[in-house]
Amino acid sequence: MSTPHESPGAASRRGPVRAPQSLAGGLFLLFLALLALWLTRDLDQGTLGSMGPAMLPRWLAFGVGLSGLALIVLAFVKDGEPLERWTLRGPFFIIWAILAFAFTIRPDTWTIGPVGPISLPGLGLMFAGPLAVIIGGFATPEARFRDLVIVALSLTPFCMVLFGDSALLNLPIPMFPQALAGFFPAGFTQNSVLRTIAVVMAVAALLIFLTTRGRRDAAIDAADHGGRI
Amino acid sequence: MGDLFSNLGLGFSVALSLQNIVAAFIGCLVGTLIGVLPGVGPIATIAMLLPITFSLDPTGALIMLAGIYYGAQYGGSTTAILVNIPGEATSVVTALDGHQMARQGRAGIALGVAAIGSFFAGTVATIVIAALGKPLTGLALLFGPTEYFSLMVMGLVFAVVLARGSILKAIAMILVGVLLSTVGLDLETGEERMTFGLPFLSDGIDFAVLAMGIFGIAEIMRNLDHTEHRDVVRQSIGRLLPNKEDFKESYMPAIRGTLIGAILGILPGNGAVLGPFASYTLEKKLAKDPRRFGRGAIEGVAGPESANNAGAQTSFIPLLTLGIPPNAVMALMVGAMTIHGIIPGPQVMTRNPDLFWGMIASMWIGNLMLLVINLPLVGVWVRLLKVPYRLLFPAILLFCCIGIYSINSLPTDVVFIALFGFVGYMLIKFGFEPAPMLLGFVLGKLMEENLRRALILSRGSLETFIERPVSAGLLAVAAILLIIALLPSIRKGRDEVFTE
Repeated sequence: MSTPHESPGAASRRGPVRAPQSLAGGLFLLFLALLALWLTRDLDQGTLGSMGPAMLPRWLAFGVGLSGLALIVLAFVKDGEPLERWTLRGPFFIIWAILAFAFTIRPDTWTIGPVGPISLPGLGLMFAGPLAVIIGGFATPEARFRDLVIVALSLTPFCMVLFGDSALLNLPIPMFPQALAGFFPAGFTQNSVLRTIAVVMAVAALLIFLTTRGRRDAAIDAADHGGRI
Repeated sequence: MGDLFSNLGLGFSVALSLQNIVAAFIGCLVGTLIGVLPGVGPIATIAMLLPITFSLDPTGALIMLAGIYYGAQYGGSTTAILVNIPGEATSVVTALDGHQMARQGRAGIALGVAAIGSFFAGTVATIVIAALGKPLTGLALLFGPTEYFSLMVMGLVFAVVLARGSILKAIAMILVGVLLSTVGLDLETGEERMTFGLPFLSDGIDFAVLAMGIFGIAEIMRNLDHTEHRDVVRQSIGRLLPNKEDFKESYMPAIRGTLIGAILGILPGNGAVLGPFASYTLEKKLAKDPRRFGRGAIEGVAGPESANNAGAQTSFIPLLTLGIPPNAVMALMVGAMTIHGIIPGPQVMTRNPDLFWGMIASMWIGNLMLLVINLPLVGVWVRLLKVPYRLLFPAILLFCCIGIYSINSLPTDVVFIALFGFVGYMLIKFGFEPAPMLLGFVLGKLMEENLRRALILSRGSLETFIERPVSAGLLAVAAILLIIALLPSIRKGRDEVFTE
C-alpha cells in the first residue's frame, strides 16, 4: 500500500490511488479503531442482558474500522478529491501558543510521560495572555511583531479587568504572579493591584503604538479605512 | 389556549425583570459582536462566552446564552451579506443573494429584510414553542429507555442524511463521536475506559473542550491555510428599511421560510441546518424568473433568513421537552444548564416553570432587541470586519484559552483544545465534516445509558426495539430515510441542494 501523497494534483491521479483524501481519511479511522480496541482489550464485554464496559466501545470501534476500510477500498476504485495543501506553520504556532497559556496560567506541577514532575511558577493571565497572542500570532506568515505586541498589551488588560475585577465577572483566574503583589504598598488589595497592572499594560500598548507609528507601512492599519464604506 | 397565555404571561413577567432584560441585551450584543467575526460560528461563540454567564442565576444565565446564540446567528448573516464569508452552514445561502444585493448598493435592504424576516420568524417560533411545549412534554413522559434510544438513533440518521459530502464519511464521524463519548468511567461498573490512565479523563471528555477545539481552534488553523481575500463591500450600505415594493416581494417568502424552518428545526439531528437550503430551493422553484437568484434576489434573503431563525429557535423544543439536544449548540446549552444545576428534560417545565417560560419569552424579547440594536450598529460591524485576520485570530485564540480555562480552572482543558483543534484540522483536511461527530458525542452517553436500560428491561433481547410500536416506528423512519438518502437519484438532488 502506498502512503498518502503530500502533493496533490495531476501526478497522484496516475498512481493506483485515485482518491488520496479518502485513503488518508480511511487510514486515520483505522488508526482510531485499532487504538480503541487496544485500549479496551482488558475490559469485560458482558452480555446483552447486562452489558460490560467494553461492549459499546468495541462495537463502535468495529464500526469505525469498517468505515475506514471501506474508504480505503474506495480510494483505489473511485476517483476522488486530492489531499488539500497542508501548512504546518499554522497548527505549529497555534498549538504552542495554547500550550504556553496552559503552562503559565497557574502554579502547577505537570507529569508529561516519562518527563516530570515539572513545577511551573504560575505567571497569571498578565503573562499567559501576551504569550498566547504573540506566539499564536506568528501562525501566519504576515505576522508583524510590533502589531502583535500592541494587540497583546491592549487585549490582556481588557480581559484581566473583564474576567478578574471583582466589580465585573470576578472569575477565579490567576491574574498575576503572587510575588508581584509584594512590590505594591501594603494597603493595596488584590483588586487594586489588578487594576494598576492593567492600566500600566494599556499605557505601554498606547506608548508603543504612538512612538512607532511613523515606521509602519500604509497597509497595516485598518481602522483608518473603517469609517467610510 | 388560556393556559398558553397565562404561561406566556408568567414568562414575560420573568423575562421583563431588569436583570433578565440586561442579561438578554448583553447576550445579544456580545453574541453579535463575536458572531460578526468571520470564522467564528455560534458554537465557538457560546463556548467562548460561557464564563460570562457564571455569575448569574440559572434563568438569567440561560436567557443570556440564548441571546448569545441568536446574536451569533444574526452576526453570521451580517458577515455573509457584507463580506460573502458565511460564518456557518446556515448562512451559506444568505451569502448567495445577500452579497450580490450588497454589491448593487442594496446592502442595507438585505440586512433590513434579513432582520425583519428573522424577527417575524422568531415571533412565530416563540408561539410554536409555547404551544408545543406542554403536549410534547406529556409525550416525553410516555417514553421509556427503548423509545429514547430509537429516537436518538433517528436523530443521528437525520444528521447523516443532512451532512454534506459522502454519507460513508458522515456515518464514520457519528461513530467516532459516540466512541469518544464512551471515554471515562463506566457508569455502572465504575471501570475506566480508554483514559490512558489519566485522572482528568476519568470523567470523560468535556463537551465544551471538544467543541472549542473542533469549532474554535481547528477553524483558526483552517482559515490560516487560505490566503485571505476579504471582499468587504465598498458600496454604501444604503437605506435600511425596505420600501413597499421590497416588502411585497419578501413577505410571502418570509412566511414560507418561517414554516419550513420551524418544522425542520423540531426534528432531532440538526434539522435546522436544512431550513435555509429548503427555503431557497422552494423560492427558486416558485419564482417567475428563477434566473434572478444568485444575482441579488430579495426572496433569496428573506426566505432562508426566516427559515434559519425559525429553525434555530424551534431546535430548543427537543431539548426543553425531551431533554435531547438536537445539535451542538443545544448540547452546549445542556452543559450550561448542568453547570447551573438544572437537568434538561420534561421535568424542567414542571419543576422550574419560571425558567422554562421565562426563557421562551426572552427569545422573543431577544429577537426584538436584535432588530433594534443591530440595524443602527451596522457601521460598527463593518468597521470590525475590516480588522485584518492576522490581528483577529490571536485575539480569538486568547478568548478561547481564557474561556475554556475558566469553566473548570484546569490547564489540562486548555491543552486538550490544542489537541482536539489539531485533530479537527486533520479531519477537515481529510474531507470529514465535524458537526455529525459532535452530535454523536453529545448523544453518545444518553444513548448508551438508555440502550443498557432497555436491554436490562428486555432481559437482553434486541427485539424489544421492534416490538414496542413507538420505537419500531422511529426506527422505521430512520431506516427509510437512510435508504432514500442512498438512492442514486435522491443523492444527486441532495448534492445539488448543498452545492447551490
